[in-house]
Amino acid sequence: MSYIEFKNVCKEYKMGEIIIKALNNTNFSIEKGELVVVVGPSGAGKTTALNILGGMDSVTSGDVIVDGKNVAKLKNKALIKYRREDIGFVFQFYNLVQNLTAIENVELATQICKDSLNPDEVMEKVGLADRKKNFPSQLSGGEQQRVAIARAIAKNPKLLLCDEPTGALDYKTGKQILKLLQDTARKEKMTVIIITHNAAIAPMADKIIRFKNGTAESIESNQNPIPVENIEW
Amino acid sequence: MKIKKALLKDTFKEIKKSYKRFISILLMALLGVGFFAGLRASSPDMIDSIDIYYKNQNVYDIEVMSTLGLTNSDIEALSNIENVENVYGTYSRDGLIKTNDKEIVSKILCVDDVNKPVLVEGSMPENIDECVVEKDFLEGTGKKIGDSIDIEPEKTEQTGTTDEEGTEYLKNKTLKIVGVVESPLYISRERGSTKLGTGVIDYYIYVNRENINSEVYTEIYITLKNAEKYQTGSNKYEDYVEETKEKIEEIKEERENARYQELIDEANAEIAKAEEEFNTEKQKGEAELQDAENKINEGKTQIESGEAQITSNERTANQKFENAESQIESAKTEVAKNALRLNNEKIEAEKGFEEAENQKAGLQSTLENINNAIKIADNSIAEKQAQLETADTEEEINAINQEIAKLQATKQVYETNKQSIEAGITEIDNQIASGRQELQNAEAQINSARAEIQNQEATLERTKNNTYAQIANAKKELEASKQEIENAEVELENARAEFNTKIQEAEGKLIDAREKVSEIEKAKWYILDRQQNAGYSSYIQDTESIENLSVVFPIVFFAIAALVSLTSMTRMVEEERQEIGTLKALGYNKFHIMLKYLVYSSLACIIGGIIGMNIGFQLLPRIIWDMYEMMYTLPEFIVSFNHQYSSIGLGLIYICIVGATLYTILKEVKETPATLLRPKAPKYGKRVLLERVTFIWKRLKFSHKVTVRNIFRYKKRFLMTIIGIMGCTSLILAGFGIKDSISSILPNQYEDICHYDMLVSLKTALTTEQKDNYVEELKQKEDIQEVVETFMESGTAGKDNRETVQIVVPSDNKEIDKMIKLRDVKTKEPFTLSEEGIIITDKLAELINAKVGDMVKVTTADDVEKEIKVVGITENYISHYVYMSKELYQQVFGETYSTNVLLIQDNNLNEEQEKAIMQEMVAKNEVSTVTLTTTTMKTLDDTMNSLNYVVVVLIISAGLLAFVVLYNLSNINIGERIRELATIKVLGFYDREVYDYVTRETLILTIIGILLGLVGGYFLNFYILGTCEINILRFEKVIYPISYVYAAAITIVFSIIVNIVTYFTLKKIDMIGSLKSVE
Repeated sequence: MSYIEFKNVCKEYKMGEIIIKALNNTNFSIEKGELVVVVGPSGAGKTTALNILGGMDSVTSGDVIVDGKNVAKLKNKALIKYRREDIGFVFQFYNLVQNLTAIENVELATQICKDSLNPDEVMEKVGLADRKKNFPSQLSGGEQQRVAIARAIAKNPKLLLCDEPTGALDYKTGKQILKLLQDTARKEKMTVIIITHNAAIAPMADKIIRFKNGTAESIESNQNPIPVENIEW
Repeated sequence: MKIKKALLKDTFKEIKKSYKRFISILLMALLGVGFFAGLRASSPDMIDSIDIYYKNQNVYDIEVMSTLGLTNSDIEALSNIENVENVYGTYSRDGLIKTNDKEIVSKILCVDDVNKPVLVEGSMPENIDECVVEKDFLEGTGKKIGDSIDIEPEKTEQTGTTDEEGTEYLKNKTLKIVGVVESPLYISRERGSTKLGTGVIDYYIYVNRENINSEVYTEIYITLKNAEKYQTGSNKYEDYVEETKEKIEEIKEERENARYQELIDEANAEIAKAEEEFNTEKQKGEAELQDAENKINEGKTQIESGEAQITSNERTANQKFENAESQIESAKTEVAKNALRLNNEKIEAEKGFEEAENQKAGLQSTLENINNAIKIADNSIAEKQAQLETADTEEEINAINQEIAKLQATKQVYETNKQSIEAGITEIDNQIASGRQELQNAEAQINSARAEIQNQEATLERTKNNTYAQIANAKKELEASKQEIENAEVELENARAEFNTKIQEAEGKLIDAREKVSEIEKAKWYILDRQQNAGYSSYIQDTESIENLSVVFPIVFFAIAALVSLTSMTRMVEEERQEIGTLKALGYNKFHIMLKYLVYSSLACIIGGIIGMNIGFQLLPRIIWDMYEMMYTLPEFIVSFNHQYSSIGLGLIYICIVGATLYTILKEVKETPATLLRPKAPKYGKRVLLERVTFIWKRLKFSHKVTVRNIFRYKKRFLMTIIGIMGCTSLILAGFGIKDSISSILPNQYEDICHYDMLVSLKTALTTEQKDNYVEELKQKEDIQEVVETFMESGTAGKDNRETVQIVVPSDNKEIDKMIKLRDVKTKEPFTLSEEGIIITDKLAELINAKVGDMVKVTTADDVEKEIKVVGITENYISHYVYMSKELYQQVFGETYSTNVLLIQDNNLNEEQEKAIMQEMVAKNEVSTVTLTTTTMKTLDDTMNSLNYVVVVLIISAGLLAFVVLYNLSNINIGERIRELATIKVLGFYDREVYDYVTRETLILTIIGILLGLVGGYFLNFYILGTCEINILRFEKVIYPISYVYAAAITIVFSIIVNIVTYFTLKKIDMIGSLKSVE
């Protein structure tokens, strides 16, 4: 039994009278501590899968097992608890609270978790120890994303889910972010799942899942992940 | 310009999508317009109602009254004036009705074609023995339709002319109540004052015109041509009336003089007639008196001759009797003399007899001695003879014989003596017997003479008696005749005196009448219009105060509506920034782009406005009328759709909402498409001032820091929330404040100021002694603690404008303090009445603009006006009073002072006990009416309860306002911060935590808003009280602490309701959808 298992997961949206199948019988599994990259074209169901995994969306049918817990069957409050304690999210657009300083954004997450990490240490880890008192508007995109990552990992989650974390960043900054994520996965032994439409970065992962038409078309384990800095695209 | 279909379609889709926003704008418009239009229309609706009422009942436009009454020639003269349509002469007079020992003063009006009363029940008075009354009359007296009442009209009219002797103002004074009416002349409770009873008119009644017996009209009512074109109270109407009044003013003097002359002529003619009558009567009376005197004199002569006769008769009789008596007397003397002589003789004889007896006794003792000597001689003889037997000797015998012979001789001598003595004794006896016989004979003679005299005397006595009786009778008869004459004389004297007084009286009357004629004052016309009608004018005044009120409230609503729509639309425009950019990039011009938002807000505004005005026009005037209905009687309240206010309201709200929209959208469309397509730079986070105060900041919890920062971040919302909540709390507090002020009136007046439980009006005819006795009687009662006598009458006081007041003149300046506290409003320092001046109540002072030291004109019930100095302004809450000392009253008005009211304090009796006492009192001859303070309080309480509607209206409107504002703000808040909220949801905040995260700010703002609102409400309350204060009541501007609690609590309840809605909105936030979009 894997750490994370997606079993026959289907997800349908109703748009008026049309039913859109976002996920069509998707199956995959992820082991603890793996750095997984999910690639695929727009609308292939990557984000939906990630949202379901992150407890932000429900399934139409199927099971989602995370560390022995069937997330698909969780009720609202348990689902929030799951998000609160087990999941760290990083978005393409950072989604920082504008009204809070960098460190406060991290604190926003840590104050609700039991086993949270020290916000200052986390800020140091993401390399923003000297910017932590700045407001998001005073930070660059890359810095903001670092804050977002810091906020996600400060909760000390079981899973770090990143949806296009570099989508809004330039090449160099993007690379730095990816490195941060890779380092986090390695050093903290954290299970990290990164969604990207950029197949070029796939080699950095321990496992590559390719989505197409609402299903995981191929799951491929990479025995020799390449450090991000060595990848060019 | 062609409006692009696609854009319009987009607009409607937008409405569907953001229906909450649409509805909140719509609701703001609804409330704003509804309140504005409804409140503004209340006053015109009230005016409309009275206008239609007055037109239907053909109520006068101008009223003419004259001090000397009005005549048909006056009517004719008035009819000829331009614009005058109809002129009606009519009658009115005050009358006293006695029912259940109560004296009620009623205005007696007659049914006419002008000022027609509205029949509510029953029928109009068709006959002269019928009348109709007002509803309160039935309630006040307990009479029913079909019952009869007795009415005593006032003898003298207000016009100054007196009824002619023997004529009654009403032909029929016992009237059957046949119906209930409402009079357009008396729409308020004010019925005016009178010289009768307590000085206040209680009710009005209408009688059939035929029942009235009066030479002159008391009033002339004039209706004007085309007056129906104008609304009553409007400037045009008043100008029109004024114009005609001026024309009447022109003929005024002529008519006044004419009436004066008419009266003088009439009076002079009457005087002449009276004089003639007087003279004939005088002559006739004098002749009669002379006649009587002659008769008396004749009688007197007769009596005199009779008297002489009797005197002479008496004298003759007396003479006769005297002679007879003297004869008898001399006879008596003779007899007495004889008797005396006899007596003397008798005594003499007795003496002789005694002597004879003595002689006899001497003789007898001699005889005895002789007898003894004889015996001795016998014995000696016997002895000698015995001795002879024995004697032997002759000698002896001789001697003895000799001796015997000697003895014998002696004895013989003795025997002879004895015989002569015995003869002497017999002789004496015979002499005595014959003497006695003689005496007896003389005595018998005397006795018979005496009997004879007695007989004569008796006869004389009888004759005397008879004669004297005859004389006495004659005398008595004469005396009777004398008495008769004397009586006749007294009678004559009386008759003469009577005649003289009558003559004097009649002469006096003639003089009086002549004097009166000279005293007849020039007639004075009063040309009045509707504004002088108490009910009408206070009604119009009240509509003005409603109008004032209707200006403030809507301002609050409009301001908030504008703010709310400003934020809403700003948010909407910001949300659609990209769409605007896209459209602009596609080549749409500014107008087309703006159109969507303008249509959107216009639709919300117009739909809301139309719904609002329809509800407002129906609801608010009715609610307000419900309040005023307690004070005014109008047959129907007319609610109409007021086009003016509806368009103004809609226009104003349109400017506020669409203007706000335009303001925001213009700011956006000015920018280039490129800028628009780029997401708007998010509001930068900023440190707040508080962070610099590290010692506080450090202590704050993290979540509190966030809250503090957020509050300062969204300043617009911050303001909006505070203003909204503040408005809400203020309105509620003002509502409660009004209630507090109103409800404090009664306890203030009847617990702090007035301490009497009963006010007893005494009947006017009582003497001081009767009053004193009655007061003493009351004081003896166990249930009664205190009785204070005072004088009370209604009058007016003022400088330029007049207010109706009660003039109170206590009999004792100190005693009154037990019943009525006179004290300074602020310092509560007590006042004492003095000769210095009057003390007036505070509201009166305010209304007539009088200060301590000012001179104020005071008019009594008898219309005497004097200027008196104000020396004190005393605390009071209900009605107006002028207090003055007895001395001052007498000094100023020169009237004799007499009390007419008793103020009574009982020993904490309950209502039923008080009523029992009251009935007992009313049954007394001394008492006219008894007013229980409890009853007064109850009645007032009912009236004041109606003002609770204000509170309800305020609370409901405030609640709606709070709800709309909070709901809207909460929506905006969530809308603006949806990403932030989605983020924290993703981070795993529980629903409750998310809710707290958002509403903690709202809570703080709400608290600030409430605090400010409590302050604002305090002032709003004052403002509202100021505008809607009732003339005779003084509102104490007070808000009880509990009201602050209520106001805060109610606001909190409203915000909790909104927060509950927010909670569910937050729960439904779609994290994925919200986070997907670009910021």
